[in-house]
Amino acid sequence: MNVTLKILRYNPEKDEKGHYETYSVEAEPTDRLLDLLEEIKGHQDGTLTFRRSCAHGVCGSDAMRINGSNKLACQVLIKNVGAKITIEPLLGLKVVKDLIVDMEPFFDNYKKVLPHLINESALPADGKERIQSQKERARFDDTTKCIMCAACTTSCPSFWGNDDFLGPAALVSAHRFVFDSRDEGASERLEVLSETFGVARCHTAFNCTSACPRDIKITQAIGELKMAMVTGKLD
Amino acid sequence: MGLKRNVSLTTALRYKGEGPYLAFILHRIGGVALFIFFSLYILILAGVDSANSIFSNWIFQIIILIFGLFHAINGLRITIMDLSPKMFAHYQKAISIEWVLYALLCGFILFVVLQNRFGG
Repeated sequence: MNVTLKILRYNPEKDEKGHYETYSVEAEPTDRLLDLLEEIKGHQDGTLTFRRSCAHGVCGSDAMRINGSNKLACQVLIKNVGAKITIEPLLGLKVVKDLIVDMEPFFDNYKKVLPHLINESALPADGKERIQSQKERARFDDTTKCIMCAACTTSCPSFWGNDDFLGPAALVSAHRFVFDSRDEGASERLEVLSETFGVARCHTAFNCTSACPRDIKITQAIGELKMAMVTGKLD
Repeated sequence: MGLKRNVSLTTALRYKGEGPYLAFILHRIGGVALFIFFSLYILILAGVDSANSIFSNWIFQIIILIFGLFHAINGLRITIMDLSPKMFAHYQKAISIEWVLYALLCGFILFVVLQNRFGG
């Protein structure tokens, strides 16, 4: 089948603003969108710029707006998006070139929620691991799946309005540690989340949940953080 | 160097979210409608006669009903979900129930308003 790709291009050395360019590519319905982008870059226009790494939905490099909503290009099959595809960079982050956005503000917000295990207690007597039950592990299982692709944060209207808002991805990371029974930094994190641009900026538009390529229940995780903040309970 | 991060209103509206995103947008419009409603009401209390003519206009009343009622019902859904985060897992059902409730209430009030206006 013949597929037409309309791609929002921007070259900082030549362009003042972005413009669309159209490409035509022969493809199988079971091809991935990333394959088509590679075809364009390899055989039609080597200047097309995009991020990709693992190409299997694990690294999260190739998040972009595909036909109006955020997805990973390596997870999208042509048969699911049709023969006319519009591709644009993620919203709410500066465009560096073509489909590449500046991820620094995203990672700055991520760091604010202290995304690492905090535990100052002495190790168990045997000096080995801190034991956790299956139930305790299951409490935060969903939020361990995050691949930091930024599809959620850049689909959030609150983040579009102000990039000081921590954003769904950072809140997912906070959830992953706040509800970890081995962690002792919950109160410190909840304090960060209670600030002006913290968890209260989530207005439950659910764009993050539908954009997540790992099907993480992001809005639910944020809701649980809100409740923990209000009640002080972590159960 | 790079394009600014600003997201225009038209770009934001073009983002293809699901049902809750539409509710999110309508909730904001409803908020503006209620702001206009209360502002006019206060002007009437302050004795501004021209505000009274807008307030009693049936088209104005219908617009306020459509958007203001949605704001109220959607706000109720958000509050219930915030109080019980497990409900977030059923957000699509919650949105469907919200639309049914909204259609019933809005339809009934619309019927009463229009009957008063045109029913003789």
